[in-house]
Amino acid sequence: MGTATEVLRVENLSIDVYGKVVVRGVDIALSEGEILYVVGPNGSGKTTLLRGLAGYPGYREVSGRVIFSGEDITGTSADYRVSKGIALAHQIPPKISGLRTRDLLAYVARKFGSGDVEEVVKLLDIGYLMDREFGRGFSGGELKRVELATLLLLRPKLALIDEPDSGVDVDSVMLVAEGIRRLSELSPYRTVVVVSHTAFVARYVRPSKVCVMSSGTLLRCGGPELLDEVMRYGFKRVA
Amino acid sequence: MLHYVELSKKAAPGAPDLSRASEVGIDLEKAGRSAYYLQVDQKIFQYLSRIPGVEVTTIEDFIGNSPDLAAEYVWKLLDPSRDRFTAAAALYGSGGFVIKVKKGARVDDPVQTCLFMSTPGLQAPHNVVIMEEGAELTLYTGCTIMPEPVGLHVGVSEFYVGRGAKLRYVMIHSWNRATHVRPRTAVQVDEGGEYISYYMSFGRVKSIQTFPSIHLARGARTYSASVVLGLEDSQIDVGTSVTLSEDSSAQVVSRVLARDSSKVWTRAIISGGRGRGHIDCRGMMIHDTAQIYTVPELRALGKETQLTHEASIGKLSEDEIAYLMSKGFSREEAEGILIRGFMNVELEWLPQRIRRYVEGVLNIMAGKAL
Repeated sequence: MGTATEVLRVENLSIDVYGKVVVRGVDIALSEGEILYVVGPNGSGKTTLLRGLAGYPGYREVSGRVIFSGEDITGTSADYRVSKGIALAHQIPPKISGLRTRDLLAYVARKFGSGDVEEVVKLLDIGYLMDREFGRGFSGGELKRVELATLLLLRPKLALIDEPDSGVDVDSVMLVAEGIRRLSELSPYRTVVVVSHTAFVARYVRPSKVCVMSSGTLLRCGGPELLDEVMRYGFKRVA
Repeated sequence: MLHYVELSKKAAPGAPDLSRASEVGIDLEKAGRSAYYLQVDQKIFQYLSRIPGVEVTTIEDFIGNSPDLAAEYVWKLLDPSRDRFTAAAALYGSGGFVIKVKKGARVDDPVQTCLFMSTPGLQAPHNVVIMEEGAELTLYTGCTIMPEPVGLHVGVSEFYVGRGAKLRYVMIHSWNRATHVRPRTAVQVDEGGEYISYYMSFGRVKSIQTFPSIHLARGARTYSASVVLGLEDSQIDVGTSVTLSEDSSAQVVSRVLARDSSKVWTRAIISGGRGRGHIDCRGMMIHDTAQIYTVPELRALGKETQLTHEASIGKLSEDEIAYLMSKGFSREEAEGILIRGFMNVELEWLPQRIRRYVEGVLNIMAGKAL
């Protein structure tokens, strides 16, 4: 068996959000086909970590490096990282007045020429949201499903998924989990990072690596068994 | 009466360049196969109708050939003494279309009308549309001007939408930086009738002021949308006034983008003792030097009236730009998507072909707004 290709290497990364360092000294190494599940309490820096990896405006890497597919992408913009194959599904996307969901998905599909909008819409059961303004009056589950739809259209090499199970009913979690599974099938490298404050969605996505995050740092990393510990003893004791 | 002059795509020496009509969505070649009216300045008129049940003529021919009918419809909704521009149109105006759609005629092809200014001075056509009971029509009007002339355009329009009839009206304006524009429009919608209106202005213009009034009879309804782009030092004041009756309903919608040092006012009045009405005014400031004023007004004249409004003015949201960048769009692309989205109004009442035209115009406007 050959060695799996390394997709993401993060070295001693610290991320500043509008003048405040929120994430400190993070190291991650992920190879093709791996799913990393980062779990931690609210406010532990999970969203900042993902946004920093995505190059989101306002989230600045103040130290360390991000190497993606062998290229140092530290300090590059969000759209550049998408063009390289990194894409983020947000925990709570903004409402966008006037922009219909159908148009957003069409813009994404047109720009990147990948993915079948109708197939994605069917998979995530979001057909009834197509003519509504993006995000306006959507439930938590609807937001997650539409976010995941954009990811499925982008078919990233590395998918970053922020809190897919927060504020969501069980049916939606199952749909979202199905979407993540489909994403990992479609993705050229099948590499995914999921962050959550619970272990709930891990039952469906079956991570190969788990890290516990607290106060802006990754305190402990290990295999899936780490999640059982977290669920049994809580974040503090595990950390 | 039919009057037909073969249209040439290329202008003869000294003749106006009609290719500019395509900028406001007028397709003279296609129009020549269905029905259209073209007026250049105050003197050149071309018109025809090949559509059964649809008559197209000039106001002069209408008054000359059908004086009794003209007495019922000309200067009945508008008063020449209303203001100095209306009076100027009554005294010095020339031309204008009269479109009559016979009872029950449902027309799929749009009738296109183009009011074109090629020389300096006044253009003041008087337009009348008569929709008989149960008739349906889409009327697409494009108004434009050559780049140089200093002009005053005063289009007087009186639209009669008969019982159960439906008139969908699209008007696209693209003027030059020296033009003053004062359309004067009044619409009467009879019982159960429907009047759907879209007004779009995207060219440079010195000034526009217009405030169409729509009178709804029992059970009638209207949707009136204005999408306006303020450029350079334009002063644009647009609005709609609706008078309600029992079981009638009205929606007045505006989307305004203001850049450079333009000033744009959007006004709306819905008034009545019965019926339902909603005003939705949104403005987007592109530049710090522009100004937008939004003036929604609700007048309840009886307790059976239900009136609501929402109004907002803002700028492009950095959160929304950042979000779209995280989906792979450059900052410029993200701004374009947000502006185009902001300009969306409900277009589902329009036939597919006209909807495509209008969407094309909105795309051009979004491009010019950046």
